[in-house]
This record gives sequence, C-alpha cells and structure tokens, in this order.
Amino acid sequence: MKTVIIIIMMALTFGFMMPTETITMKGSDTMVILAQRWAEVYMSKNKNFTIQVTGGGSGTGISALINGTTDICNSSRPMKRAEMDKLKQRYNTLGVEIKVAIDGLALYVNETNPVSELTLDQVKRIYQGKITNWKDIGGADSKIILYSRENNSGTYVYFKDNVLEGEDFSPSAQNMPGTAAVVNAVSKDKNSIGYGGEAYGKGIKFIKIKKDEKSPAYIPSAEYVKSGDYPISRYLYLYLRSKPTGEIKKFIDWMLSKEGQEIVTKVGYSPVK
Amino acid sequence: MKIISSIITLLLVSININAQDSLAKKEDVEEIKGALQSVTETVIDLKNTLDALKKIKISGYIQAQFQSADTAGINSYSGGNFPVNVKSRFQVRRGRVKFMYDQDITQYVLQIDVTQNGVGIKDAYATIKEPWLQTFSFTAGVFDRPFGFEISYSSNMREAPERSRLFQTLFPGERELGVKIEAAPERGVLSFLNLKAGLFNGVLPNANENDRNKDFIGRVGFLLPFRDENFEIDGGFSLYTGNVTNTSKYFYEFNGSSPIKNFKVDSSTTNAGKGFAREYYAFDTQLYYDLPIIGGLSIKGEYITGIQPATKSYNSFYYPSTTDPNPSLYQRNFNGWYINYTQNIGLSHQFVLKYDVFDPNSNVKGNDIGLPGSNLLASDIKYSTLGVGWVYHWDSNIKFLVYYDSVNNEHVNSAATGSLAKYTRDLKDNVLTARMQYRF
Repeated sequence: MKTVIIIIMMALTFGFMMPTETITMKGSDTMVILAQRWAEVYMSKNKNFTIQVTGGGSGTGISALINGTTDICNSSRPMKRAEMDKLKQRYNTLGVEIKVAIDGLALYVNETNPVSELTLDQVKRIYQGKITNWKDIGGADSKIILYSRENNSGTYVYFKDNVLEGEDFSPSAQNMPGTAAVVNAVSKDKNSIGYGGEAYGKGIKFIKIKKDEKSPAYIPSAEYVKSGDYPISRYLYLYLRSKPTGEIKKFIDWMLSKEGQEIVTKVGYSPVK
Repeated sequence: MKIISSIITLLLVSININAQDSLAKKEDVEEIKGALQSVTETVIDLKNTLDALKKIKISGYIQAQFQSADTAGINSYSGGNFPVNVKSRFQVRRGRVKFMYDQDITQYVLQIDVTQNGVGIKDAYATIKEPWLQTFSFTAGVFDRPFGFEISYSSNMREAPERSRLFQTLFPGERELGVKIEAAPERGVLSFLNLKAGLFNGVLPNANENDRNKDFIGRVGFLLPFRDENFEIDGGFSLYTGNVTNTSKYFYEFNGSSPIKNFKVDSSTTNAGKGFAREYYAFDTQLYYDLPIIGGLSIKGEYITGIQPATKSYNSFYYPSTTDPNPSLYQRNFNGWYINYTQNIGLSHQFVLKYDVFDPNSNVKGNDIGLPGSNLLASDIKYSTLGVGWVYHWDSNIKFLVYYDSVNNEHVNSAATGSLAKYTRDLKDNVLTARMQYRF
C-alpha cells in the first residue's frame, strides 16, 4: 500500500512537472513583431505550449536552423544556395520553405522632408552615393544621410539585390542593427533616408515609389503590395529543416489559417492567403 | 526700511545666484554635449574598426581519434599506415585553422593543418567574383581539385572518417596548384547548372611541377530539386586530362597479346622526356530525401575510370623523387567507385554505410597476379572496403564518430611467391576508428 501511495505521489509530482512544449523561432528582425503576435495569440489558446521568438536577422536565423539551435527560422529573404548546401550536408534535407506574408519594403524619410516620391532608379542612385543632396530630387539644399542595415539582415540582402541590382552601397551609409533603429534614426534626422519593413513605418513618412518617371507612385500599403503595384515587395518566409510534424505543424497551419493571416494584416503586412 | 532693504539685498543675491546657476547649467550642457560628441566619435571609430575586423573570418576544427587495427604495422587508408609494431594509436587526424578575408567580391583564404606530424598548408588562394551577373568567379593558388564530389566535400562534414581509397590514390592531398574559373548562376533558367574548370601543375605530391605540361581538370554539375517531394538529385561529369613526363627510357604498358597477362616494356631512348597521358573520367550522383518523421537520407556515389601513369610498386601517380629520380613509367587502365548511404535519425544521430572499390589495373584479375611468368605486382591488386559507422552530434560544435572499415583485397594466384604470397588470402587490415571532432 505504501509503495502504491509513493508511486501515485511521484506520478502526480512528475505530472505537474511535465514541461510545456517549447518551439523556438529565430531570424528576421522585420518579422519579429509578426512572430511575437502570432506566438502570443497561439499561446493564449494553447496553454501547454511555449513559443520563444528572437530576432537577429535572417542570416542569423538561417545559421541557427543549420546549427540546430532553432526549430523555425524567420527570414525576409529566400535561402541562398550555399545555405541550402549546408543544410544538405548536415541533415540531408533541402529545408522546407513556407511563405507566410508579403512585405512592401518601405523607404522612410523624416516627417519634415518635402520629398514625397522617388523612382526606383533615384533610390538606387541615392544609396549608391551618386545623388548626395536632397535638392537634386526636389528637396532642400542638404546632404542626404543614408541609413542601411547590417549584412546579416534579409532586408539588406533584398535591398541590395533588388534595388541596387547587386551593386555596392555607398560607403557613407550607416548600418543600423535593426529596422526599429533605422526608423528611430530617420525620425530624429531631418536629412536622412532609411528602408525597412512596412510594419515598422509608424511615426515617420513613407516615400511613394514608382517604377520609372512615367509610372504612378505608390505607398507600401497592404493593398498596393498585394496587387503588385508597389514595386519593391517581397515574401516573408518560415524555414524548417524537415517537413513539419506534431505541434510545429499545428502551429504553422494556424499561422496560415484565416485567424493567423488576419494577424498578418493587423501587424501591417499583406496576407498570402 | 531695514526690512525692505534686506529683502532687496536678498533678491539681488538670489538673482545673482540664479544667473550664476543659469550660466553653470549652460556650461554643464555644453560640457555634456562635448562629452557626447566625443563618445559618438569614439563609437563611430570603434564601429569602423569592427566593420573592418568583421571581414576577417576565422574557423577551424580538430579531429582527435583513437584507432585499433587488426594487425600491427598494416598499410591503411584509414588515416595513414600504422607504424611497425603499432596496432592501436591516438592521432590528431586533422587540426585545421582557416583564415578568410571576405570583401564580398574578393576573398583571401589561408588554411593550415596542425597535427602531431607538424604544420602543413592546405589552402592558400584568392578568389575574385564578378559583380555584374554574380555568376562567375576566378581563383588562383592552392585549392581543391575541381573533380567529382568527394574531393571538395569538407572532411569536417563528411560522414565517413576518410575519403575513399580511390580518391586518396588518384588525388593525394586533394589540393593542387593552379587557376580555375567557376560559374554558378544563383537565379535564372541555368541555375540548375554549375561549372568548374582549371589548369593545374600536374603530378607531384608536393603539388609542384616537373614538366612543361599543364593539366586540365573540370566538372559540369547539375542540381535538380523536387521541393514538394523533399527530394533532390545532384550530379556531374568530371574530366582530368594531362600528361606526365617520363624521366626514364622505360615505358611499361599492359600486354594484351600474351597468354599470361603482364606488362610489356618499351625501352626506346625517345621515351625519356616524352609525355604520357593521365586521363580520368567520372560520373557522380547524390540523392537527398527527407524521410518523414525519421529524418533526411542521402545516397552518394561516384564512378571513375581512366589511364594512370604510375610506377612499378606505386599505383598513385608517376613522380620522380630524390631517392629515385628516374623511375620506370607503368601505364595502367584503372577504375573504381563508391556508394555512401547516410540516414539522419532525428537531429543528433546519423547512421553511415559506405562501400568503395578501387581496381588499379582493370585489365587483370586477382588470379593473373602471381602467376609464374607474370610481372604483375601488389600495386595491381584490387581492393574493396565496407565501412559502417554512427555519428552523434553532441551540439553544433562537437560530434562523435565510431566507424569500422572492413578492407578486402583481391586474392592473388595461389602460386604467388615472395612479397605477393601474403595476398593469396585476405589481409587482416580492418580498422576501428573512434573520433571526436570540435568545430568552430
């Protein structure tokens, strides 16, 4: 009898001590707010489930996925061939790519800046250091201060590949550790320009972007991003090592459900479904 | 009146104090501004320094291992021959430190290998990538030969502890001195193709040149991903074509017309200084499949055939040395292959099975070697190796490996005598390896 009681007590003790399932998400700073919102809502509905979300940049997230230190990688750019090769070498898998949202890459300027629209070519030349004064593009006679991201950022890679068409940033561009830091810097510097996810664009002014001189200009609103009118938009991705199973699959299915995609819209991105 | 005068005095003093306070505050603000400016300048300076340092990347790994062989003093391809009387040993198999200076479109790489035998250079090269299409690159220095799959597959990632006997024989040290161009489009309709091709010195084990000939090595590869099925097929065709210069007048080749298979000799004086072909042709394929619930698996295989100019007792490649500056040249047709199956089990475990075969003289069978009247030698014997192993990834830095190599030699003719007699049966030369690898 005594043994039975001890066994029952131990079972109850260990039952209460049962750890909650923990999923880690790491990577894109652009996606941190979205992932945190998803995590909060999902955890409120699934009490025995913990989701830890951290940023660090898409490159950092992909490295963590390869090193096995995160379950899910958030990335604002597609995985590169070299990164896939590393996954293949270590896990013999190609990685699983899931598109979860669309983001218009916003160009921000200070609220007091009279410039309100730019062509893609002008943006390119500004960030290459070929246009250095606001007066050359309809603004005040002031030097343009450039804010960029560090090279582990998916946003940096996307901007370099799609706006600078692979060419180098001006050496005068100041690299900031996250999109929030770019927004903060631009909001305090009336001669500056920065870029980042549309969801971070609160409190500063979006520049309207047009493909060329003859095209209409658009702000990175969900409507224009989803329609493809806004010319610099990209998918936001989740990457996993293998096809998801169990709780991770349930969580991802929920992110892609109507409820999960509504959160995408609320955060400021465009849903994929 | 006295009271009023006192009040006025107090007010004046107070105003004076306030004015002094105000001046003091202004000075404080200026001082703080100055200090902040100084801190900002320091931070910018530090950031610039840090940005420059970030371009220097240091990585490396060390493989410490224990090995136990069936017999003391065996010749082995599992980390080198065992010394006389030695049946088990500890080794630092590889101790690599790699320095890379990465400027995006240009790279400088220096990799050294530090083991119990000393320090050696593995890689020393510079690469330039073209910035426009981001597809082509040019490399010059000492680097992996662009041939097949296994050579350039890093030994810190490889599941089996050593490269196949085939590759260790044909490409000792894996590296060569030369130049290469590489094309690997990241996007577009040709993104499934890649190309590596270069010119290299040729033959010597220290990668120096012994003649005016330069050898061509190249590989055309493809990648065919089937993402929805979690499946990918990679592969390629490789070519090595070059010449080695015979420093002696003796040239031996297989005698197809003799009833007893052997080498026939051509001792024309014109053979000295003449170039003889070194040609390898290879196909390689790698399959990857994500097995549901269990984990990813890969099946990798290569087949190589060709002509190898070598020496009488050494089937690796022909080279004159200080001890034998004019060895006779033996030309052999060879072939070999391997197949490697790796199964990931969860995130931390891998099961490995590998089988490799190397036939240095594909014109003869075991029974032809050792026949009276034949001049075939141990360097003509075919070998096969079955390896089975288990890899445990402790974390992202450390992995443990236990691997057993079962080596089988072709049995030569029972009439064989002298040094060949021992090959009439399978040698006891299997090796067990237990390795710990730390990578950073």
